[in-house]
Amino acid sequence: MKATLSFLGQRAVILHRPGETTDRLVRQCVLLGFRAEARWQPLRADEDADIVLVDADEGWDGILPWTPAEKPAPLVALLASEAPGRIAWALDQGADALIAKPITASAVYPALVMATRRHAETRQFNERIRRLEERVRLRPLVHAAVRTFMAADGCGENEAYGCLRREAMQKRLTLEQAAASILASPRRQAG
Amino acid sequence: MTVLRLGILFSTSGDYGALGRDCRDGAMTAIEDLRGACSVGIEPVAGDPAASSERYIELARRMIQEGGCRHVIGTVTSQARKDVIPVIEKRDAQLWYVCPYEGFEANPNVIYTGTCPNQHLLPLFEHMLPAYGRRVYLAGANYIWGWEMNRLAREVVTEAGGEIVGERCLPIGDTDVDRIVAEVAARQPDFILSNMLGPSSHAFLRAMRELGRRDPAFRPERCPVVSCDLTECELPEIGLGVADGQLAAASYFDSLDTLANRALKAQVAARFGSDRRVSSYFATSYATVRLCAEAVSRCGTDDPIKVRSALAGLMAPSPLGPLRIDPATNHANLPFLLGRISGPDFVILQSRPAAVADPYLIRRRTAVQPASAQPQLRIVS
Repeated sequence: MKATLSFLGQRAVILHRPGETTDRLVRQCVLLGFRAEARWQPLRADEDADIVLVDADEGWDGILPWTPAEKPAPLVALLASEAPGRIAWALDQGADALIAKPITASAVYPALVMATRRHAETRQFNERIRRLEERVRLRPLVHAAVRTFMAADGCGENEAYGCLRREAMQKRLTLEQAAASILASPRRQAG
Repeated sequence: MTVLRLGILFSTSGDYGALGRDCRDGAMTAIEDLRGACSVGIEPVAGDPAASSERYIELARRMIQEGGCRHVIGTVTSQARKDVIPVIEKRDAQLWYVCPYEGFEANPNVIYTGTCPNQHLLPLFEHMLPAYGRRVYLAGANYIWGWEMNRLAREVVTEAGGEIVGERCLPIGDTDVDRIVAEVAARQPDFILSNMLGPSSHAFLRAMRELGRRDPAFRPERCPVVSCDLTECELPEIGLGVADGQLAAASYFDSLDTLANRALKAQVAARFGSDRRVSSYFATSYATVRLCAEAVSRCGTDDPIKVRSALAGLMAPSPLGPLRIDPATNHANLPFLLGRISGPDFVILQSRPAAVADPYLIRRRTAVQPASAQPQLRIVS
């Protein structure tokens, strides 16, 4: 079961021309516990924002100081238009959820919860992909370490792989790190 | 004189008709009460949607468009409220919602004078978990009220180190409670939270009475049924005495001994006879109409935007105590009362002063402490 989210004390930045849209968004964000700021100025890279809401109707490249891949906070697109170009812009920014304009009060909380979850999941996925890519990249090291064991101990491949795994477990290293350390060790190299 | 055309939109027939009739009667009593005694002339436009979503929407539209109402007091269930809100928003009208609900809403076009979970469920469980135990059974009506109340109860109980021993929802109107009762009998919870409405709730309380007769472990003093929606208005229908000993949370009970409540009860006795009990639905609806009239009177118009700003500074006396609307959330500050059913009445066991509503529960983390600080250790040999 997922616990009820509380946004108490978090900071929401709303990048949109001031008006009824921002008034409604600020009201709902404050109700949810956010400190909310609305303005029609780009987000600065040094700003702390726990969630960002951006006007996808008029937003431009560069209004957000990051690329979608390194997006540090959940992003919600605010959209009245149905134009494919604007939908694509919102997607290209890495929007995690969308609120249709004109804003109805009941649309805000669901979008913010969904964006928060989506963003967290995306980060977890990205981190997992990064780790897997790292392992794939270091796969030749594992092969080399296995061959080293085979040569040193005169054993078969399965046994050598088992030795490497045991060594990794004992030293609390990943298989790849253990392989790298074995290959760097002069004794093993000499053997 | 300022005229306030007020839509009165409660489902007074159908499965939860008793609740709607109390809401309607409360509103009409306030209107009678204010006739000639207030600078606002209230002209009610009433309609009974008979628990149908389509009728709710159609009647709300007609009240606003044809009846000239800019204010509507009404809807009983959250489903109906959510059906009506788009109609209200579209025409910039104002809905006054008087029933307890599950929270997670704060619409600028709605004034909420019913309680939300930090005003009913959380204080109720703060009392129940230490007093009765942490093994809880959840029974609900199969719609948003039952689902969300059960979800929140599960969260609270789990956080307190307790256990939900069973959970079932029945469609509104369904009285086939045998399976729920059998589960209760088998799993022996410390208490039961019932979020069922009308006939389901009545059938369940009658069945629990029978179960308690067969096995004293299920009598209300050992294993009570608690609720956040059961009031005086349903006790005659259940059968007086049948639900004696069961518990309910509310912002008001008829037995409240205050000056304002004695005045209301005298009025109700004169209008409906001395047997009539006042429920929180009745009293809240009554207080809400008076609050609305006071706000309209202060700004000299029924323009909802002006009425909302007039409300911000208002503290109106009422049978529920001084009524104030928090301008941030549009929700009323409301007291918590815990009552035990006794005949046609609730004996008030506990009361807490009016609390600010926290509809999105952003301040909940510190609200409920574990029932027991002692670890559950046993010596095993």
